[in-house]
Amino acid sequence: MHLPEIDKFAHLKSPIHSWDPRVKIISISILIFSVALVRDFQRALLGLCLAIALIFLCRIPFSFVFLHLRWVLLFTLVLSVTLFLTVPGDLLLRLAFLSVSREGVNLGLLISLRAVSAALLVFPMMGTTKFNLSLKALEKIKVPDKLVQLLMFTYRYIFLFMDEEKRISIAANSRGWVKRTDFSTLKTIGSIAGMLLVRSFERTERIRDAMFSRGYNGRLNVLDEFTLNLRDLIKTSLVIAFALMLNFPWWIK
Amino acid sequence: MKKAIKIRELEYIYPDGTKALKGINLDIHRDECVGLIGPNGAGKSTLLLHLNGILRGTKGSVEVLGMEVKDENLVKIRQKVAIVFQEPDDQLFMPTVFDDVGFGPSNFGYPKEKVKEKVKKALEQVGMEGYEDRCSHHLSLGEKKKISIATVLSMEPEILILDEPTISLDPRGRRELIEFLKNLSITKIIAGHDLELIVEICSRVILLDEGKIVTNGDPRGVLSNKSLMESHGLEVPLSLR
Repeated sequence: MHLPEIDKFAHLKSPIHSWDPRVKIISISILIFSVALVRDFQRALLGLCLAIALIFLCRIPFSFVFLHLRWVLLFTLVLSVTLFLTVPGDLLLRLAFLSVSREGVNLGLLISLRAVSAALLVFPMMGTTKFNLSLKALEKIKVPDKLVQLLMFTYRYIFLFMDEEKRISIAANSRGWVKRTDFSTLKTIGSIAGMLLVRSFERTERIRDAMFSRGYNGRLNVLDEFTLNLRDLIKTSLVIAFALMLNFPWWIK
Repeated sequence: MKKAIKIRELEYIYPDGTKALKGINLDIHRDECVGLIGPNGAGKSTLLLHLNGILRGTKGSVEVLGMEVKDENLVKIRQKVAIVFQEPDDQLFMPTVFDDVGFGPSNFGYPKEKVKEKVKKALEQVGMEGYEDRCSHHLSLGEKKKISIATVLSMEPEILILDEPTISLDPRGRRELIEFLKNLSITKIIAGHDLELIVEICSRVILLDEGKIVTNGDPRGVLSNKSLMESHGLEVPLSLR
């Protein structure tokens, strides 16, 4: 079964892997915001190149990146085509009754480049550290505890949730159920989803009991110790400098 | 002999109005190994959840190691009374084995070095050394069960409660668990339907049905009573036929 493991390549060795997760998350988050805020095509392209360079540097296979990025790409493609055709402006191309404007193409490409670059940057940020360590880093950099716990439980139980969905589907298939594009299939999928929710709810109660039995008091106690060295600071400075550079001229205009 | 658990006239009614426990009176002594049996819905799990204050009786009292189960004593009681739940995936909720086994000790305020030491010792006890960095969802069911036990052993409890410990285990895993429990010299309460396990390791058995204690005595005597067992939806185990 395919499991959504973003940290599948966290065991590799690279300058991004050896970067302290706390400053890595902070710096790349700043870079993501910066890429998302650029206002011209050239800078967006520069942001994309930087994102690709970081992925290249951290040695995560592009096939893996593409596999996880396909829905983002599909979404941006739909969005771009819509913008090409709907934004008014100078006529660039006429296809039968459809007209493509220069402004639409510029806007569509800009938004797509920003979205894809931001999504690509998630891989060096979260894919180069084991997810449990990333969570601990989030806790250390004072991300709200409840949010960290929410992420932790989502990560821990998504696999179980998928297994349960698989088991229920197998049980339904073994009793002759076949997915079709009809009302009956929708009804069955609705029932399966409902059953998964009920089971998940019951499980949360049992997990809660298990947690309180072991002294849980609403907070997670993080035991990992991170160490910050000069190399981490250099990497952090470089990435933040790049992030500022991408947007700096806009501020003084 | 000193009492580990003292329950008097305990009653519990679920929010939907179901009366799950009806006037339970029970004493369990230190270092005793007690089996808790009964049909499904008898109230076994409900009773177990009262022993560390997860559930509180609507009437009656529970005393654990001389401490009454009430808010002021909960932290101490939960440190001393460990429950291993039936489903390991409910017990293992942290991203790695280390985090899970260290969860209890770190909540009870042990310093980092002590937590690491306790995790190491607990994993050694269940024969799972070297699993610290593994993710729980990648373990086999037998491994998950052992790690579940390690998660409570790391708290060094005085009372160990196991709910259906052998369910879904293969014969080898079950045998290893039995041998492990035999060698563990603390107070143990084992609830479940694995009556052969109860015969083999428990010194006393409690039969619970419809929220009441039906009988309480020597496992061989109770479990070989065919009419008693059948009238409560159970069977005499093969080894006693």
